[in-house]
Formats: sequence, structure tokens, C-alpha cells
Amino acid sequence: MTTITSVRSAVTAQGLTKVYGTGDAAVHALRGIDVGFATEAFTAIMGPSGSGKSTLMHCLAGLDSVTDGHVTIGDVEITRLNDKRLTLLRRDRVGFIFQAFNLLPTLTAEQNIRLPLQIAGRQADQALFDRVIDTVGLRDRLRHKPSQLSGGQQQRVAVARALISKPQVIFADEPTGNLDSRSGAEVLSFLRTSVRELGQTIVMVTHDPVAASYADRVVFLRDGLLVRELEQPTPQTVLDTLVALEA
Amino acid sequence: MFRTTITGLLAHRLRLLLTSLAIILGVGFIAGTFVLTDTIDAGFSQSFTAAADKIDVAVISKGDEDPLPPSLLAKVGSVAGVKDAQPVVSGEAPLIGKDGKTVGELVTAGVSFPSYRLDVTSGKAPASDGEALVDTSTARAQGFRIGDTVSVLDQKNVRHEFRLVGTFDVGVDQSLAARGAVAYTPATAMRMTGATGYAEIDVTTAGPSRESLRTAVAAVAGSGAKVQTGEERAADLAASNGASTDYLKVGLLMFGFVALLVAGLVIYNTFGILVAQRMRELALLRCIGATRRQVFGSIVLESAIVGLVSSILGLAAGLGMGWLAVFLLGTYQPDVEVPTGTVTLSPQTIVIGLATGLIMTVVAALLPARQATKVAPVAALRTQTEEHTFRAGVVRIIFAVLFGLAAAGLTYAGVTAKPDETALMTVMAGGVLAFFTVLILGPVLVTPLSGLAGWLPGRLFGVPGRLATENSRRNPKRSATTTIALTIGVTLMTFMAVLTATMRATADHELDSQFPADYRVAAQTGDVPHTVAEALRGHPELATVAEFREAEGKLDDEDYPIGTVTSSVLETAMRPKATSGSADGFKPGTVMIADYVAEHLKIKVGDDVRVGTAKKATPLRVVAILDSQSLLPSITVPEQFFDERFGKTDDNQILITAADGADLDKARAIVDDATQPYPAVKVTSSTEIRGQFDEAINGILSVITGLLGLAIVISLLGIANTLSLSVHERTRESALLRALGLKRGQLRGMLTVEALILGLVGALVGTVLGIVYGWAATTTISESVSFRLPVGQIALFIAASGLAGVLAAVLPARRAARTSIVGSLASD
Ligand SMILES: Nc1ncnc2c1ncn2[C@@H]1O[C@H](COP(=O)(O)OP(=O)(O)OP(=O)(O)O)[C@@H](O)[C@H]1O
Ligand SMILES: [Mg+2]
Repeated sequence: MTTITSVRSAVTAQGLTKVYGTGDAAVHALRGIDVGFATEAFTAIMGPSGSGKSTLMHCLAGLDSVTDGHVTIGDVEITRLNDKRLTLLRRDRVGFIFQAFNLLPTLTAEQNIRLPLQIAGRQADQALFDRVIDTVGLRDRLRHKPSQLSGGQQQRVAVARALISKPQVIFADEPTGNLDSRSGAEVLSFLRTSVRELGQTIVMVTHDPVAASYADRVVFLRDGLLVRELEQPTPQTVLDTLVALEA
Repeated sequence: MFRTTITGLLAHRLRLLLTSLAIILGVGFIAGTFVLTDTIDAGFSQSFTAAADKIDVAVISKGDEDPLPPSLLAKVGSVAGVKDAQPVVSGEAPLIGKDGKTVGELVTAGVSFPSYRLDVTSGKAPASDGEALVDTSTARAQGFRIGDTVSVLDQKNVRHEFRLVGTFDVGVDQSLAARGAVAYTPATAMRMTGATGYAEIDVTTAGPSRESLRTAVAAVAGSGAKVQTGEERAADLAASNGASTDYLKVGLLMFGFVALLVAGLVIYNTFGILVAQRMRELALLRCIGATRRQVFGSIVLESAIVGLVSSILGLAAGLGMGWLAVFLLGTYQPDVEVPTGTVTLSPQTIVIGLATGLIMTVVAALLPARQATKVAPVAALRTQTEEHTFRAGVVRIIFAVLFGLAAAGLTYAGVTAKPDETALMTVMAGGVLAFFTVLILGPVLVTPLSGLAGWLPGRLFGVPGRLATENSRRNPKRSATTTIALTIGVTLMTFMAVLTATMRATADHELDSQFPADYRVAAQTGDVPHTVAEALRGHPELATVAEFREAEGKLDDEDYPIGTVTSSVLETAMRPKATSGSADGFKPGTVMIADYVAEHLKIKVGDDVRVGTAKKATPLRVVAILDSQSLLPSITVPEQFFDERFGKTDDNQILITAADGADLDKARAIVDDATQPYPAVKVTSSTEIRGQFDEAINGILSVITGLLGLAIVISLLGIANTLSLSVHERTRESALLRALGLKRGQLRGMLTVEALILGLVGALVGTVLGIVYGWAATTTISESVSFRLPVGQIALFIAASGLAGVLAAVLPARRAARTSIVGSLASD
């Protein structure tokens, strides 16, 4: 089809449109977005508040239905799947990191990390598990419940959980939004490491130019449209682009 | 604050709906009980008032033993101002049915009423001595028609024939309804029943007021009679029947109380959860200046509104339930004559219904309201809601130990005490304390128990199963209160099941050991002619024919019936149980005495007692004191001795066993043939007796189970309520799980398993309590109970509780699975 799909993309969207509500109350959150996210790359999505970042992510991840357009994860067009197939696809191919409330309060850190695999009835790759645990530095916290962990530690558990099932893509919606800059930096560098060393594909929504600078590429949204892209961003170039967009 | 409360209530109206339903059912049951008994009472007093209308003054005998002398009738009739005086006769005269045997279990009543009191439903009142009326339901059951000839036995078992000229309705007279009745002219009634006088003389006035006529009649009636005006008589009769509806009322109210208790727990839990969920909202109110008192007040006000609205609906439900009960009584129990007035809610019912519902709801909400006042304003600023960790406090442990010890002590005392009512009460008090111990320990118990109950689902359903187990124990207090509501119903059901199973086993055992007979022949009135026993002997199909005979005699100069039994059978089939001594030494010159007689006269084994008639008594050696449940006569002497003293009297009863391997149909036919010529002589088989007993027990058990069902339903509402509130609380958690790939069905399954676990935990605790106290109660009934565990029934209760839990989860689970992932993740 178009050139975008010819790039090795983990996730692609074509003419993605999302309208909330109908008639006068209709909100056009996405107005036809074409975008691809390369495999083994770390991509950030930025934009002003209300520009449609979260909506885009939810549609890409199959969490929300689309009004029009196509989304493909790997070789599966998810916009055609029913709820059950979609659930299975999420289970097997997609990982999530949310801004808050990532963990089940009744389970320990380790149980939370293993949860997606257990839901799928798969065995964890013990070597991968050890490696992930050591990289995120959670070895001595595995038996703790979420309420006994700091916010940064909770997010690291969430990252470990997303990685452990080796999904085709991980979606992260402002994963560092609730963290101070040091914990945030820890989580971000860990995300980047997992892309470099484990070959993970990550798509991250963020407000923070510094966070975005950890990514390989940044796409900018405004009013539901993709308006700009940056390769190899630095905090400064991201900030400049944002300022230009706001104007 | 008031406005906030109202808006809060409206916002949570769905969540409060289930709570309201619990109150509605509880109040409805109580109100329904009053509606039912009020209606019956009203019906009784209507009927009695109607009857009293026709009688101005009634002269009533002081008892059946000394009826009014017939001569009194003329005396009363000649009192100035008396228009008419008519006798009422009441006695027994067995009616013979179409099968040639006397009708029914109880001897048919023989009566005579003044024609204006006889409610003739067809035909006419008896006019001559050869005419009779049969009560409507007996006539229907026996297929008697007007013009038929009916046979009735008199006191000497002589058969008399009457022409049936009509049928009549016995009205609200429970005794006549139970026995069945034949109405005759007064003279015939006296002849047939052997009555020597009148039960009552009904007087109508020629003009004077009832009061003055009563005084005049009382002057001639003398002290042997009670003289009342019609109104007084009606009031008396209505009151004595009212006493019987009091039993019904108290019985039903006990179940209503249980239902209300369960509803109270449900309410307590609901408000507890609502307060917990509104911590931040409440904290915000506190932040912006609401005082603790205002927060407390708003919760109490909320509960009062819920309580009031639900109680009003409950009254409506009660009216419906009462109406339904009256309708069912009328439709399915035509034999029991229950008069019914119009179904109404009396002011008393309204007050009681509203008060119980309101007070219970508010009281149940007090603790949660107090909890609400403890919310720190700063809680409004916290983002992550804290997990409710539970640690068993010292106070809780101390209380649990105290209650536990008291419960164990009382139970032990009751179980080891001599079986009587006090022992039973002691055990029951122990049971109540044990329940409180469980209530206090609930949050501690629920964690290991749900682990136990969740073990299998955890294996079977994988991740959802294990998550469900975790969820069921994450808030032990909440789970405990939810399950304990179910525990109450299951405990009582198990208790009843154990008790009835044990009673049945004990009765069977006793029948086996003390009634080792296949058939019993006895007369409805009088004795079994000797010829019956003679006709029974010499058949190879019958192994033993034991004749029991009794006659009035003397034991150490006191009046006692002296009896005997065919001696040959004592060694074989009839093995009487002796509390001391032994029946083995029973031979000429000895006697066996029942324990209660021995106790009364202070007789021991080895004593010599004088047995015989007033004229001639002989010393006999006591060889055995018999268990009072033994079938032998209370003073059993050897057959030959009995014959010498009392002659060849007829038999009191005959017990027969069929020979081993004999054709039972043939054996039965022989017995039936032998008794055929004697209408009053009836045959019962031990299987029939057992069947009747089983039927009675099953009937009682199913009524009780049905009534307890209400408590169970309410506790299920509680489970559904807790679950849906929990689902609401965990919306984001469910969304996260769904995002991580949990299928809709798995999410539903998770909640279903959680409910299953809650149901099973409640049932487990309930069955354990029920079994323990069922056992303890049976030990207080008699020394020799055969304890029986109705394993099948109890397994059924547990399975049903689990299933009911699953049902309770249907709606909450559907709601949880339906909510959108994105919306829930975004929600605050
Ligand atoms: N469920 C919904 N119903 C109606 N409108 C919605 C809904 N969700 C989002 N919107 C609207 O869609 C638009 C895009 O919302 P979205 O949440 O994607 O923005 P965002 O870029 O993630 O903003 P932020 O940076 O504040 O998180 C906004 O105008 C928002 O008001
Ligand atoms: Mg957003």
C-alpha cells in the first residue's frame, strides 16, 4: 500500500478517525491519522493537552474502538477483530504501562509481573525474568505488595510486567507523569535499555520534553492531527517544536 | 448537609436498592405475620359473633365429666322471660365408613345442636331419632349422599343405622373439624355417645334483656354451671381461639426476627462499604468545614430515609404476603377450617412494621456512621486508596476467648446434664454464645476458610480463580459480615436437619427394639374382642400374636391398671427394656413395673408388692423396672395370674409379627380378615406408622426450611450487594486486567468464583455450627438417642449455598464485564 507500511513497522495506523458522541456534542478527537511505529524503536507521542494523544494510544492498542480507519499490529488488522480476539491479541502481543494504578493491590510485585503470562497460561522465560528483574533492580522487593512500594518502584514493576511477556509493542501513557525527575529518569533509561538490548518496541505518550528526548523519534499531535516529526530528539529541539506548535 | 445527603442518596440509589430489598423482605415478613393472624382472629370473632347473635343466654357445663343434668332443661325453660331453651349434646360415636371400618384416626364426634345453630349445607336438620347429618368434609371424603344409610357404633360397639338427611358445616370448631361429626336429635345423641347430660343449654329471650335473663337463669342453674350472655360466650370462644393464633404468631415472628437480624447485618455491611468508598468525599466535606457531628448526622439521616422508605414498601409487601398466606390456607387446606375476615393492615401492624424497620436500619448504620466521623480531612488529598489491612486486635481476641469459653462451658454443661428442658435451654444459650464467638472471630476465620473454599476453584479456573480467592480475603471484615449473614440461615437449617434426622433414627430404633411387630391391631373405642386373637392363631404366615390386656386393679392398695401379655412372646420377639433388673426372671409369682410407677411408689427390684383386686391381692416379687417407653403395661403380671384375677378379658391391643420369609400380602390379608367383622378394630402396620412419622417430620422440616429460606434470600441479597459494591470499587482494577488480556468471560468468572467462595465459607461455618449444636441438642432430648448425620442434606445445603452465591454474582459480574476499559482507566 502506501510507503509507511513498507517500513518495518510494529504498529501502523491509516486514516485513523475517532469521534466521541454525535451531533452537536460530537468531539473529533482524531481526524485521520497516518502513522507507523518502527520495530525495535522507542517512539514518543507529544502534543498539547486535549490533542488526542491518549485517544490515539487507546485506538492503537485496541483498547478503544475506532470510528474510521485501520490499525495493524504486526500483520493483524485489529480494527476488524471482535472483542474476544482483541483481548487475546492484547494478551499475547501488547504490553501496557499506565500513568497510575498499574498493579493489582492484592498481588505481590512478582505476582504482578507474572500476571500477563499467567493469564495467557504461558511459562515465563526464567533467564529473561532474571535479567529484567536485575535490570530494574527489584530483586529484593519481589515479595512486597504495591502499597509497600514507592511510586517509582511501582512503575518499575509495571515496566517489568510489560517486558516479561515479550510483546510486539509496549504502550506507555505518561509512565513518568507521577514520578519525581530522578525516579522518572530511572524508568526512562530502563525503557531505552530494553529497546536497545532486548529489541523491544515502545510507544510512549508524554508531556515532558526531557522524557521525550529518551526516544528515538517523536511525533507531534495537534487537534487530532499528526503535525510534525523529530528524529533523534533532544530536550531542546522538542521544546522548540512544542513552542512552535502552540503558536 | 441535608441537601448533600439527599443528593448522595439519589446518586447511590441503585446501590441502596438491594439494601432496601433486604429491609422490605424482613419488615414484610413481620407485617405479613400480623396481617395473617389478624385476619384469622377477625374471622374467628366474626364467626363467633355471628353465632352469639342467635343465642341470648348460654348455660355451660363446667366440664365434659359433669354435664348439665337433663332435668335442668325444663327448669331453664320455665324461667320467666325464656322463649326457648334447647340442649347441646357433645360426645363420641364412631362413624363407620364405606370400607366397613370406623372413619379417621380420631373417634367421630356425636353431637346435637339447636337447629338455629346447625349450619346445614344441604338437606335438613334431623327431625326424628332415625335421622342424622354428617359434616360436609367427612361426607365428601367418604362419598356419603343424602338418602344413604350410615352406620354408627354406640358406646357398647353396637351398630346403629341412620338415614342421612343432610350435611352440615362444623364452622370454626377446630375439634369437630379434626374429628369429623355426626349430628342427631338430642335424645339420639345422648344414646349414641353415652352422655348423661347436656354440654350446654342455649336460651333465647322472649323480651327481657340478655343481662337480666342471665341473672334469672343463673338462679336456677345452680353452681354446677356457668351462665353467660351470648356476647360473653362469643368473647370467650374467640379468646381461646386467639390463643391458638398466638402460637402461630410467635412462631412466625421468630422466623421474622431471624430474617430481620440477617437484614440488619446486610445493612450494616452496606453502609460500612458505602462509607469506605466515600472516604474521599467525606474527607472533602470535612476539608471544607463539615463537623464530625454533621458527617455522622448525614449518614444516620441517610439510613433513616432508607429505613423509612423501605419499611413503607415492606408494609405493602407484608399485606401481599399476608393475603397470599390466607389465600393459600383457604385453597390448599380445606380440611382446616380457617375463617378469614378481610385482609387489612391494622394500625398496630403499621406501627410495629415501621418501627422495627426504621430502628433496625438506623441501629445497623450507627457503627459505619461512627467510622465515617474518623475520616481525616487530609484523606481527601491522598491519591491511592489504601488497602484495608486487618489485624486481629487484642480486644477482639479477648472478647472471642471470653465468649468462646462461656459457649463451651454452657454447651458442655447442657450436654452432660440429665436430658430435660433446662439442659436444652443451656445448650441453646451456648449455641447463641458460640454464634457470637464466630461473629467476633469472623474476620480472623474468613482468610483461612476462603483459602480452603478457594482451593479447588483456584486449581480449576487458573488465574481468575486465584485472583478471586485473593479478592475474597482482601477485606476480611467485609467478607466476614457478608458470609455470617448466610451462616445464620444455614446454621438453623442444618440444626433442624440434624435434629429431625436424629429424631427419625431414634424413633425407628425404638420402633425396632420395642415394637418388633409388623402389625398392630387395636380398637378405636373399647377393646379388641378375644375372637380376633383366636382367629389369628395357627397361621404359618404369622410368627407371633401377642395379646396385651389390661384391667383396673390395685398395686399396694393404690388404683392402677394391671396388665399382661401373652407369655410365650416375651422371650422371643418382645424384648422389654429394663432400667433395673431383667425381664428374664419373669415367671409366676413375679411382676414387672414401669419406672414412673416404681418411682412414684418407691419400689425397687427385689421388693414384694401386693397386686390384685380390691378384694384379693397377692404378694409378687418385683423382677424388673421397665423403661417407660416400653410397650408393656405399666404393671405386667404373668398371664395365668391375670386370668385368675380378672378373667378372660378382651385385648387392649394385639401385636403381630409375620413369619420370616412369609408372603407379607398374605399375612396382611389374614390380619385384615380376622378384624373384618369389627368396625372399630383397626390394623396398622409398622411401615405405615413409620411412613406417617416420616411424613410428619418431612412436613415440619419443609415448612421450617421454607420459612428459613427468607433469611437465606436476604443474605444472598447481601452477597450480591457486597459484590456489586466491590465491583464498583475495583472498576480500575478490572479495566487493568482486561487491558492485560483477561477475557470478559474470565472477568465474570473471577467474580462468580469470589461469590462462590463467600457462599461456601458461609455454608461451611453454618454447617459446622449446625451439626455441633444439632448434636448437642439431641443429647438433651433423651439418654438413648441414635445420633444421625443427614450427610446428603448437609451436602445439599453447602452446594445450594455455593450455587446461590453464584446466582448472586450474576448481575454484578455482568456489570463488571460490560464496562469499557478506556473509560474505567480514565476514571478517577
Ligand atoms: N470519552 C470521551 N468522550 C468525549 N470526549 C472525549 C472522551 N475522551 C476524550 N475526549 C476528548 O477527545 C479529545 C482528546 O482527548 P485525549 O484524552 O486523547 O487528549 P490527550 O492528548 O491525551 O490530553 P492530555 O494531555 O490532557 O491527557 C479531547 O478534546 C477530549 O475532551
Ligand atoms: Mg492523556
